[in-house]
Amino acid sequence: MVTTEVSFSLNGTGHCVEADTRWTLLYLLREEFGLTGTKRGCDMGECGACTVLLDGLPVNACQVLVASISACKVTTIESLSDDGNLHPLQVAFLQNDGAQCGFCTPGFIMSAIPLMEEEAPVTRDQIADALGGNLCRCNAYGAILDSVQSALDRRTHV
Amino acid sequence: MSENLGWVGTSPPRRDLKDKVTGEAEYSADISFDDMLHAKVLRSPHPHAIILSVDTTEADKLQGVRAVVTPFDISNGRIAPDVSILDKKVRFVGDEVAVVAADDPYTAELAVKLIKVSYDVLPFYRTTDEALSEGAEPIHAGGNLINNGPLVEQRGNLDEGFAEADLVLEESFTTPAHSPAPLEPRTALAKWDGSRLTLWKSSRGIHADKASLSQALGLPSKSLRVIGPHMGAGYGGKDETRTAVLASILSIRTQMPVRLELSREEEFVAGRRRHSTMTTLRMGLKSNGEITAIHAKTVMDTGAYLSSGPGVARRAGQGALYLYRCPNVRYEASLVYTNTPTAGSYRALGAPQGHFALESVADLAAKSLGLDPLHFRKKNQVTIEGQPGERTTPVNEIVDTQPSEGGIPFSSNGLSECLTLGAEKIGWDQPVNGIGESFSKSIKRGRGMSMFLYRGGPGGKSHAAVALTEDASYSLFTGVMDVGEGSATVLSQIASQVLSIPYDEIELVMGDTDITPEASITAGSSVTFSSGLAVKDAAEVLRNKILNQASQLLAEPQGVLNLHGSKVISESGKSLSLSDLVEHSGAISAKASVVPGSSDYVINSFGAHFVEVEVDVETGRVNISRYVAAHDAGTIINPKMAENQVRGGVSQMLGFTFSEDMEIDPGTGIVVNSNFLDHKSPTILDFPDIDVVFADVTDPIGPFGAKSLGEPPCIGPAPTIANAIYDAVGVRITDLPITPNKLLSAIKSHKA
Ligand code: FES
Ligand code: FES
Repeated sequence: MVTTEVSFSLNGTGHCVEADTRWTLLYLLREEFGLTGTKRGCDMGECGACTVLLDGLPVNACQVLVASISACKVTTIESLSDDGNLHPLQVAFLQNDGAQCGFCTPGFIMSAIPLMEEEAPVTRDQIADALGGNLCRCNAYGAILDSVQSALDRRTHV
Repeated sequence: MSENLGWVGTSPPRRDLKDKVTGEAEYSADISFDDMLHAKVLRSPHPHAIILSVDTTEADKLQGVRAVVTPFDISNGRIAPDVSILDKKVRFVGDEVAVVAADDPYTAELAVKLIKVSYDVLPFYRTTDEALSEGAEPIHAGGNLINNGPLVEQRGNLDEGFAEADLVLEESFTTPAHSPAPLEPRTALAKWDGSRLTLWKSSRGIHADKASLSQALGLPSKSLRVIGPHMGAGYGGKDETRTAVLASILSIRTQMPVRLELSREEEFVAGRRRHSTMTTLRMGLKSNGEITAIHAKTVMDTGAYLSSGPGVARRAGQGALYLYRCPNVRYEASLVYTNTPTAGSYRALGAPQGHFALESVADLAAKSLGLDPLHFRKKNQVTIEGQPGERTTPVNEIVDTQPSEGGIPFSSNGLSECLTLGAEKIGWDQPVNGIGESFSKSIKRGRGMSMFLYRGGPGGKSHAAVALTEDASYSLFTGVMDVGEGSATVLSQIASQVLSIPYDEIELVMGDTDITPEASITAGSSVTFSSGLAVKDAAEVLRNKILNQASQLLAEPQGVLNLHGSKVISESGKSLSLSDLVEHSGAISAKASVVPGSSDYVINSFGAHFVEVEVDVETGRVNISRYVAAHDAGTIINPKMAENQVRGGVSQMLGFTFSEDMEIDPGTGIVVNSNFLDHKSPTILDFPDIDVVFADVTDPIGPFGAKSLGEPPCIGPAPTIANAIYDAVGVRITDLPITPNKLLSAIKSHKA
């Protein structure tokens, strides 16, 4: 087993870990930090269930080696709500029945975050494009689109 | 007011939705213990072979390895009649050979690679034709044709029926072995504490899992506890595989908690897929369009193990036997073992396969007779009176929800309303090509429809318990699982309406065999109906007990008392809070058990689907411009969830229709597309506009008039779309999936 020292920030807190070089970011989050909101659907970069933000951009955590995240900022679903105050996307998923089994939900929400930062209006097709790498096998896609759309609508009206 | 309370007919949020959007909802793989070991399985590289020996010396030596289990060192209990814990014979590429527990998953995986196995390789059979060929090696002792012959169901006299016909049509159809591929791979965590085993697993039936574990491991039932965390869905699967048993054996051996989490590839090959089928359907018709005879014959590939094969085979025939009013019908189904991944229960079981054949031939029949497909359906559809013929089930016996006999009416039947509502919504009587003249010349538009019926509703004996606790709050105990479809919410809605409280003020106790009453598995779209009836009964019994107590305390007759939130109120204006009531009488509880079903009626759900497609004759691509799903599921308990369930079911089956097919290499028996990129499932980019309409039907037997809905949406898409493609370009695709390649070459040869 070969290890390497990696420093990074996770949900706003700095960490330095002695990481096995085989560890993926997904493994680190789930098995070492117990942050199980990030899901493992394929471990192959094909489903988006493991989506987290790396320096603000969505990535598949199963495709990122821990050794490569030195000085990066990692954001997971656990950091979105704070003391029961849900993120607007989470509120929208709640109001629009945006999940069935819910296994894909954290991944979809993390993938949708950059849309919330868009200045220009976002069309339904653009939402679908942004979420095209996330699979929902319950095919709750209609409700997911409605959820994200409603979060975006509310954002522009603020 | 009932809107805020979340009662029947309103759409309050799913009860567990908040946990799902925050990532707090726990699924099986999210649970862990500090001293937990990780397990990995060694799988067979051969599709059919005898294991001669397994050498684990190198694996045992690897640092961090805690146990290696092979078929040579366990007493072999049975998981199913044809599945033992580990077998000395392997029957498909991916069959379990040995299993390792180690300190971390990386070590376990390395250890698996160090195990040496010597095999005596046997000839293998990839298709049902090969498996049934003369002299084929039996995959199981009983031979490759299950029961040595087909299942046969019939009514009337087929020969007479065809003799009366002016026109006889016959066509053959094939459907693919696609995988449900739930996003959460199968996972089990076993923890043995020296006398008792606790198992956390993705489960659609914790009580059934407990019974099968007890049988396989030879442990008494009281030494077992099964806990079902949230489930990353199953769509019918996740019960019968070896995952839980192997994790349990490793935990007992090592005296440590062990998690066995399948990889995506393992989930594809060692999970359960849909039965692929070859069906020939013959229909006899009078020139006025009346159907005189239907004969369907199907051959189904069950793969390496039987699983729920017989149930699937039976269900694939119900459309042919019962959807059209017809005195003379016959259905034959042969179920065949092959050396391929095991087929099992996948949403709607055989119904999508059977209806694809039936509804394609119905379309052909209508077109052949120059009749409108909608009017052809309306003319021949089964009505509330049921099928012609004599009832054979004794009068006081519960009627099968999937009979072949005639002479029994339905409890309710909204098929005709579904046809009317769906046709209206899609504008069936408007011309298809009226819209979009500006379209490129390569685009052809078409419209199609199909209809279906489905058993479902009555499942096994169902139990529920409801209690008013010492602190004057309510709890509901049920042994069924919410597999992601929403039963936790629906059952709360039912109970809360009876008890007159907001739906989320009842504590829900589910998912633990130690504290919930026995229950059937969440299968056959039965939970709302069957557990719903039990919950409603239990809540009514509790309500009576409460009112009875209150009547003594208030000195008022029970008849003038009513429950209202946290109070009992009398018509005379007196009231008593539930806290005061429990102070006097203590906690009150009530139970109910129901054997759901009817001795007078067949209980079925119905529907009709309609679609408008655009076929690009230069690329073979099909775009769904509009989809309308009309369903009769009785009273709709939660309209928003119901609508999303229908939209999800339709979209899920676009995979079956267009792209999903488990491909097996003829030379090696290896599944070559056991990943999400190559076994292509619909994404959000493929999601069409789907309008959902519900027929206004109240079933006289279901709870608050409800029937089943979970599976039926999956039946319509394939035939509906295939019929629309025929309408658009004049070619009838009879083998699914309808890939662009397949469609393009069919269009080309049609032109030639
Ligand atoms: S788990 Fe990372 S993409 Fe599927
Ligand atoms: S809600 Fe089940 S996978 Fe998306």
